[in-house]
Amino acid sequence: MSQLTIILWMLNVIVDTSGQLAFKAAASASAEHDGIAHWKHMLKRPWIWLGVICYVFEFVLWLAFLTLVPLSVGVMLGSINIVVIMIAGRFLFKESLSKWRLIGIMLIACGVTVVGFE
Amino acid sequence: MMKRFYILGFLALIVFDTLAQVSFKFASVHAEPLTMDAAWLVRVFGAPWIYGAFVGYIGAFFTWMTLLKYAPVGPAFAASHLELISVTLISVWLFDDTLTLPKIVGGALIIAGILCLARSEDKDSQQVEVEPSQAPAS
Repeated sequence: MSQLTIILWMLNVIVDTSGQLAFKAAASASAEHDGIAHWKHMLKRPWIWLGVICYVFEFVLWLAFLTLVPLSVGVMLGSINIVVIMIAGRFLFKESLSKWRLIGIMLIACGVTVVGFE
Repeated sequence: MMKRFYILGFLALIVFDTLAQVSFKFASVHAEPLTMDAAWLVRVFGAPWIYGAFVGYIGAFFTWMTLLKYAPVGPAFAASHLELISVTLISVWLFDDTLTLPKIVGGALIIAGILCLARSEDKDSQQVEVEPSQAPAS
């Protein structure tokens, strides 16, 4: 992998994770509201818009990344996002990391590492 | 029949996700060289492929939301990431990707990991939420 490929991959992980966390923050900060009120509350706060901005950047980064790697490698390397988001959820939202989650996280991390040697 | 509904739902999810990724790849190939400027974006949006990716994403989103209403979240979560297999096989066919040993071993490890996560989701969703997740101060 070239340096540009790795930079694009890392940036993609950062914006995808930030986007997911922003959406989670948006949804849980408005959790006491239901239906349309829930959406109104979310749209008036910055979190959901931060998520949207992240997704716009992710879209461009993903396209650029896929130009440089084969599609099969791209989707496999992209799986690391699941791991990073779960770890971030652990620290920011106090989500539990059960035994099966830890095993899953480790397996995915190993798999991505192996694919990285491709 | 509920079983048929699940199978069709999961299949639809995988098809939409695969359509999105394959379209992304076609869009990126079509827009080469990767100059990351306005001209590049014009090439991206000037070809039909990127709209296939949008269709795939929107289709996957609504299928996912419908599935989540009825299906257990664990299998649904796994299915939403199993497009890894279909995308890999299709890229061998359409983009001349080769199935090298690192890809096969790495891919198998990732799939095994996803199945473990799906299992944990299933168990967690069976319990009543013991520790409510806390939103950051906003």
